[in-house]
Amino acid sequence: MNDLKFALRQLRKSPAFTLIAVLTLALGIGLNTAIFSLINDLFLRGLPFKEPQRLVHMYSNARERNLLELAISVPRFEHYRDSQTIFDGFGAENVSAFRLTGLGDAVQVLGGQVTSNYFDVLGVRPIRGRNFLPEEEKTADVAMVTENFWRKRLGGDPNAIGRGITLNGMPHTIVGVLPNLPFSWVGPGAEVWTTKPFEIAGISYERIMRGSGVLRVVGRLKPGMTLEQARAALPPLEQSYRARYPDKIDSSSVMTLKTLAEDTTGNLRPAFVILLTAVGFVLLIACSNVANLLLVRFSGRRREIALRMAIGASRRGVVRLFIFESLLVSVIAGIAGALLAWYVVPIVPKMASNFLPFDPDTRVELSLGVLGFTIVMSILTGVVMAIYPALQTSRADLVGALKEGGRGTSGSAQQLRFRKFLIGAQVALSVTLLAGAALLITSFVRLSQQSIGYRADNLWIGFVTLPQARYPDDASRERFAEQTLAALRNAPGIESATMCADIPLIPAGSSNTLYARPESEILPIDKRAAAAFHNVAPDYFKTWGIPLLAGRDFNEHDVAGGQNVILISQSGAKKIFGNESPIGKTLLVGSDSTPAEIVGIVGDVRTRKIAEPDDVELYRPWAQQSFSFLSIDVRSNLSVDAVTKLVRSALATVDPGLAVALPQSMSAIVAQAVGQTRLMMWLLGIFAGVALLLASIGIYGAVAYTVEQRTGEIGVRMALGAQTRDVLQLVVKQGMKPVLSGLALGIIATFALGRLIAAQLYQVSAHDPVLLGGATVLLAATALMACLLPARRATHVNPIQALRTE
Amino acid sequence: MIKLRNLERRYPLAKEKFFYVLRDINIDIQEGEFISIMGPSGAGKSTLLHILGMHDHGWRGEYFFRETAVHHLKTKERATLRNEQIGFVFQQYHLLDDLTVYENLDIPLSYRRYSKSERAALVADTLDRFQIVGKKDLYPRQLSGGQQQLVGVARAIIAEPKLLLADEPTGNLHSGQGEEIMELFRKLNDEGMTIIQVTHSEKNASYGKRTIQLRDGWITKREQ
Repeated sequence: MNDLKFALRQLRKSPAFTLIAVLTLALGIGLNTAIFSLINDLFLRGLPFKEPQRLVHMYSNARERNLLELAISVPRFEHYRDSQTIFDGFGAENVSAFRLTGLGDAVQVLGGQVTSNYFDVLGVRPIRGRNFLPEEEKTADVAMVTENFWRKRLGGDPNAIGRGITLNGMPHTIVGVLPNLPFSWVGPGAEVWTTKPFEIAGISYERIMRGSGVLRVVGRLKPGMTLEQARAALPPLEQSYRARYPDKIDSSSVMTLKTLAEDTTGNLRPAFVILLTAVGFVLLIACSNVANLLLVRFSGRRREIALRMAIGASRRGVVRLFIFESLLVSVIAGIAGALLAWYVVPIVPKMASNFLPFDPDTRVELSLGVLGFTIVMSILTGVVMAIYPALQTSRADLVGALKEGGRGTSGSAQQLRFRKFLIGAQVALSVTLLAGAALLITSFVRLSQQSIGYRADNLWIGFVTLPQARYPDDASRERFAEQTLAALRNAPGIESATMCADIPLIPAGSSNTLYARPESEILPIDKRAAAAFHNVAPDYFKTWGIPLLAGRDFNEHDVAGGQNVILISQSGAKKIFGNESPIGKTLLVGSDSTPAEIVGIVGDVRTRKIAEPDDVELYRPWAQQSFSFLSIDVRSNLSVDAVTKLVRSALATVDPGLAVALPQSMSAIVAQAVGQTRLMMWLLGIFAGVALLLASIGIYGAVAYTVEQRTGEIGVRMALGAQTRDVLQLVVKQGMKPVLSGLALGIIATFALGRLIAAQLYQVSAHDPVLLGGATVLLAATALMACLLPARRATHVNPIQALRTE
Repeated sequence: MIKLRNLERRYPLAKEKFFYVLRDINIDIQEGEFISIMGPSGAGKSTLLHILGMHDHGWRGEYFFRETAVHHLKTKERATLRNEQIGFVFQQYHLLDDLTVYENLDIPLSYRRYSKSERAALVADTLDRFQIVGKKDLYPRQLSGGQQQLVGVARAIIAEPKLLLADEPTGNLHSGQGEEIMELFRKLNDEGMTIIQVTHSEKNASYGKRTIQLRDGWITKREQ
């Protein structure tokens, strides 16, 4: 207790040291706490399902077509459900949107059509009512809603079970209320689930059964079954499927399994490993700065230590005293760091747009677990920082120190080496962080400047689901498109409008089609090449700003029942036809090998991923093929809200029961698509900035201290003839020596860590010499400045004064 | 060689009030002289030495060094003149702890931009002349006080200055070692070097040819 009191008094006596040490450490601890908090929420907390580690997501992969992690086809799901022996439960969801009517204005709600056992497989128990029953799977119009839906749309009605709601124009009976499901699994705003998972509005049963992927399939591993065992059990199932269904699109596909945890956050892991490493570096830099300060501070108290030991203190007692002092600093810093993290944590998801799987309605904040982490980290930091300085300084030469009086702050050669090591380490860590930030900033700039082939500005996107009963076929959907687009074209402020069946920049929201050249060998459909496929209404290319490079756009003659026509992307034309002109040539498209004539070539676009182009893109007119789920695309200078109002009005004139979902600007969608890179850039940029600041403070402090220590020596040198430049050279050379070693080490580390960051980069090498060189030069220049300030002061040493103090 | 006229050194105390360390100093020193400056503590001996050595620039009056009007020179020009003409010996030796004897001798030459080969030759000559070749790789802490001051003197004269200034050169040595250093000074003086030393010791002063007594910043006595 006395030690603690003494430590507190010592800190109060040197407010400048206390403030610098606390702020430095608070930055390190705060940033670590913030990142750990995000990691805790994303990776450690787990999904709120029963035994989530037993849940796996099954994907279909057509590797020869470079189509990975696709949904599972209905025939394959049914085949596996009947044959598998590895799962306790095997369920599926067909992710859908519903038009909800009868509860105020018509709205579009998200959710899915699921197998009756789906929520049992996940281990989700309804908070009211029950789960679906097996006999309800294929025919019953029943629904389960989330707690949010129940409270918001049904006013928390205690008699909700058994109550009817109208989805897509069909009455459904609510049989259960589910707890709100995790955003990371169901996505934004999912509220309603029905059965009949193998029905898709507008697509015939026969077509569904051809083997296109439509289902999100989950399995609950049998108790004791490992993921590896489950994976090993898949090939026999694949073989039996292939043998039974040789003519399905997916008969050659290979299945893979991912745990739900890996599935929901696996793509974020590499990014967070980098961030955790980066904040770890920041903490190490902060610790080494404070350790350096402690070493100087403790060394300056040699006489006090010698006195304590002379009157009976043990070395252990002295070490304990110093550790208390350091602990006190780190605990205060921990509190300040937790406050910093409390402020920073909620900002991060906002910086990431919607790229992190956090529910926008749920506030992301520090948990008790995270605070525990901060406390442990603070204590560890305090002990680790103090242990070497305390042990070093407590090796007091009693007689020497007492003779020296209070003057001695020189420190041994060993301490000097340790301080140089700390500076070198700080520089190495900082240059690694700076290089990482430089790579990510360049990457983000390149990704942002990537030509995407269309104009995202002033482009409005909204989604509509057409009820099957009213729009059962291509003709009715074509009529809907004609009327809606005509109404929109007449609306004030709208430049052009169109429709298509895509959800842009969401890979899972786009569709593929098989294609083959009729004049060459036609492969069976499970081996046939696939292309990105778009069903587009008139004015699509005009609205999106995609250039028509050759041939013609779709026109009023391209109608259902007429000659099937398609447009092809420039790269696609080159890939399939080489230098031949594709105009007038025919491709067999789709699983039914529909012959379609190529009538035009359009520019390449990036509608699925900004970072990766699709090598072949095919476009088919809406009149010849359409779907119930569609996006309305509007080019207008008006605000998003204004366009939304106009679109709603236009829809109301055509079909008052239709609703628009997720209205937003295409620029926002593009910004969201680069969200991960932007988040990484910002965070690593901030960490690198903090590292640079801390390292320069560290270098400045070390050099300033050395200059102070060597005032006498500098005076002697000046008396012996040293001039300003000699003194500058002396101080800068000594200050920069560990910096240069640190830079060399940092460059090596950057090369070694290149692999870690490579996956986050776009069109920039992890070993880009210009960027690495730039980071090194920036740090070297900052370090030089940090050295020059005390060096300048050294040149003003008055030799007479210095010789006297010496 | 040296002519000081009406030289004074003062420090401001309050408005228009000064504390005088040296007042109305008028001295003439010829080449080859060996002068001892004596006086009680606070008399201004060391200050005078630092002014002569061109470390201190805050004085008023006239100072001619070998016909050069030092009082008209800029700081940098004074530093150049000092480097070319003056060597220093300090009471506490002021050897650089982290450098060997060889490196300590090399330091003044490096500041005077001698070439590497010239430096090596001069250091070798000096080590030889002071018979400390065997100590060249030792650090100051490995030498006795007398040996350290020997190195201090060697370092002061290695660049062949015309004037050697010594501030209590034997102050930290026992009498035997002190005598050796004073004999060395006498020898250097005999070889033509002008020496000015500050000392408290009558015995050491007797090695000089002339003594200047200072008290409270005034010259009180000049003895031949």
